[in-house]
Amino acid sequence: MNQQPAKLGIREYVSIAILMVGAKASEDTPATLYNQVQNAAWMIPILSAGLFFIPLFLLLKTLSLYENKNLFSVIQKLLGRYIGFIVCLLIFVISSFAISFDSRTYTNIIRTFYFPTTPNIIIYALLMVVCAYGAKKGIQHIGSVSYLMIFYFVLSLYLALILSTQDSNIYSIFPIWGPGKLEVLKVGTQRLTLFAEFFLFTLLIPYCASNKEFRKGTWIAFVYVSIQISVCVLIFICMFDVTFGGTAFPFHTAIRYVSLGSYLPNVEIIFFVMWIMSAFIRFTAFLYLNALMFGHIFKIKDFEILIPSLATIYLLIGSIPEAAIDVSLEFKPIIAMIAGPAFSAIAIILWLAALLKGDFKHGKNRNSM
Amino acid sequence: MKNRLLKPLIEKLNPEPQFNEQSNALDIEQKEQDISNDLDKNLATFTSIFSVPKNMDVKVREFTIHSINKRAFIFFISTMVDITNIQESIVEPLLEAEQPSEKIPDIVSYPIETTVTNIGEITEFITSGGTILFVEGDSQCYAFQTTKIRGRGIEKSDNEVIVKGAKEAFNEKVIDNISLIRKKIKNENLIFEAQLITKRSKDSVFLAYEKDLVNDELLQTIKDKLSSLDVDRIIDLSILEQYLEERPRSLFPTILYTERPDRAASFIEEGHIVLLMENSPGSLILPATFWALFHSPEDHYLRTPYGNFIRILRVIALFVAVLTSSFYIAITNFHVGMIPPDLLMAMAGTRERVPFPSIIEVLMMEIAFELIREAGLRVPSPIGPTIGIVGALILGQAAVQANVISPIVIIVIALTGLSSFIISDVSMNFAIRISRFLFILVAGFLGVYAVIALFTAALFYLVSLKSFGTSYFAPMTPHFFSSKDLIIRHVPMKERFRPGYLKPKDMVKQRKG
Repeated sequence: MNQQPAKLGIREYVSIAILMVGAKASEDTPATLYNQVQNAAWMIPILSAGLFFIPLFLLLKTLSLYENKNLFSVIQKLLGRYIGFIVCLLIFVISSFAISFDSRTYTNIIRTFYFPTTPNIIIYALLMVVCAYGAKKGIQHIGSVSYLMIFYFVLSLYLALILSTQDSNIYSIFPIWGPGKLEVLKVGTQRLTLFAEFFLFTLLIPYCASNKEFRKGTWIAFVYVSIQISVCVLIFICMFDVTFGGTAFPFHTAIRYVSLGSYLPNVEIIFFVMWIMSAFIRFTAFLYLNALMFGHIFKIKDFEILIPSLATIYLLIGSIPEAAIDVSLEFKPIIAMIAGPAFSAIAIILWLAALLKGDFKHGKNRNSM
Repeated sequence: MKNRLLKPLIEKLNPEPQFNEQSNALDIEQKEQDISNDLDKNLATFTSIFSVPKNMDVKVREFTIHSINKRAFIFFISTMVDITNIQESIVEPLLEAEQPSEKIPDIVSYPIETTVTNIGEITEFITSGGTILFVEGDSQCYAFQTTKIRGRGIEKSDNEVIVKGAKEAFNEKVIDNISLIRKKIKNENLIFEAQLITKRSKDSVFLAYEKDLVNDELLQTIKDKLSSLDVDRIIDLSILEQYLEERPRSLFPTILYTERPDRAASFIEEGHIVLLMENSPGSLILPATFWALFHSPEDHYLRTPYGNFIRILRVIALFVAVLTSSFYIAITNFHVGMIPPDLLMAMAGTRERVPFPSIIEVLMMEIAFELIREAGLRVPSPIGPTIGIVGALILGQAAVQANVISPIVIIVIALTGLSSFIISDVSMNFAIRISRFLFILVAGFLGVYAVIALFTAALFYLVSLKSFGTSYFAPMTPHFFSSKDLIIRHVPMKERFRPGYLKPKDMVKQRKG
């Protein structure tokens, strides 16, 4: 019996979005930001959010014309069968590499900080197995789990941040512009990838309760996440100051550093528990999105069967870099450079295509009728 | 796809076994016929069906009704009927009637149940404790509901013990159980609908629901599910529970079994459906969510702060029971840095002479604890408490002194064991105790990381569980309108809505103002 429609509610969607995008503050992203623009790193998330707002707004506007159609259907509808196919494939490839290298980054973190003697592949495989299992359960259930966990995740993040401020110095944010205003702006455009997931979330529109709720949820999560990442980076800057440049994973260094009073010196496990849980959920959702894309591109209806195989492929791609440092310095930056600008360009092109085709006018006529 | 490929193969390898059975076609055919006008023939039929002289408690009493001058006999099973009642209101009036032209219903003072003609129906009636009156020359017979089955009286609830609130529990007589619920819901919309579910022993299930609340679609699904059962007999509700569940092999229960009528009544008033059955001192509540299994009736009877206090205690107990042993193993084996140095020294000191790795220690003690627990349940009650003392105190103390177990493990096990008692629902309790072992094993494999991996996977599994279409964690997620009685409950004045996942006909149970 299907008593309730299996739809993603706004709460669940916002939880997924916050877990997926907000988790970026807890990996190597803050460190890369700092290496690019030093003390101005905390501005980048807000700046990028401001820049990404335009393509995202246009994209949502375009998609709202087509009720209950996801991004890929709209791309193929607007750009034609062949160009549409190539664009979809491009998005799929970019996000496939993104998930591979991201998941490898997480494996590196787990290994470096908590299980230094365990082989990489075991940690990695366990991560992928759990994610594949979760992704096979479907997006509604991923949403439910995210919603169950989001409160504790956010709470533990803030607790960690508050504890980190004990030994930090607010004057570390000066010089406030870092290497200069122009440089900050340049990096801000490059780092649009911070919010690339929001572009991918538009694939979930048919699974959401309504288009309106989806848009509302996107904006709530977007604003919240950009502030959260920015605050995290700011606190890390205040805490580490110039040593930030040499800290690959500031969140984990921070939770190792902080203590709860003098009786509980090492509380990192508490934060680690919440963090690893959010990581599982993040990659589960990511994996599901990728499977959804793959299924859509190659017209496979039961795409959930593909999830284990996709997970294995991503595991293999993610295992290509031999050293942990390669991932952060060589492989990830490529994706980070391409994904955001490419996705923004696609969003704008879609909007232009819809505009030129006159779909907006039709939409208006439809509404007025 | 897997099923499509494998099913024919599996079917080929495991054919349905063929049995050389004796045919009972004659019996079945006989039961489909009607009784005849001839009294002697009827007598012969029924004495042969019930093998009368051999069957000691089946009684036939022949007599003549003088007022109409006809022979008659009554037929009943003496161990299932109220003999004095039969004597006073059936036999005596018939024997003593004087007015010549009276009909049978006018003579007998017993409320007449029905008149029946079909042999199969009559046998069924007799086996359920009825009395049948055959009269010479009548093509029908008279059936009286004289059932008086012996059973336990209404007693206190044993497994769902509460301090404040009603104490009475269901017993094995379904009539008593129904009246216990009726006593609590005085409403003409409360329906007890009987449905026959088994073929051979004719067990019936009583569906209890409120006509003006329950969602018809849900009710229909449950009825369909019940009528789709094709079994000879289901002896008890607990077995029916396993037949009904969507995933009978799952660790986690999806149907609530309660032996408290007040609890069943409160669920009926929320729009749930309750199943009752003869011989079962309990009731099944469908659909059940995680919260229903997790709450105890006490939560509502106590004043709001006290009720919430024990709820929060139970949440903590849930996590302690599941995770403490595994976290102990994970932290002592993989994340030693977390333990304050002084404590670590003390622990290392006591562990010095213990020859086993900590996972073996923990497993040994966990299994010992489960043994003590089961043994305590099964022994005759006078020895029960002794088992606890022998097991917990002597075994624990001796194990520590013999350097088999380190003292801290005793603390951990005692804590998890104690916590697992706080979850009152029997099935949930088992689910938690068993999953604890899984967590211990993975903790030994890869520490906190594996524990959390399993926990996340378990969460994914749990949210995907469904009980008659209702998600396990509804109404928390997926979100439904409800009175938010989940982890924390409000004051009763604020609990104004029925749970939305049931889609009841009437959502609001208490208007504002």
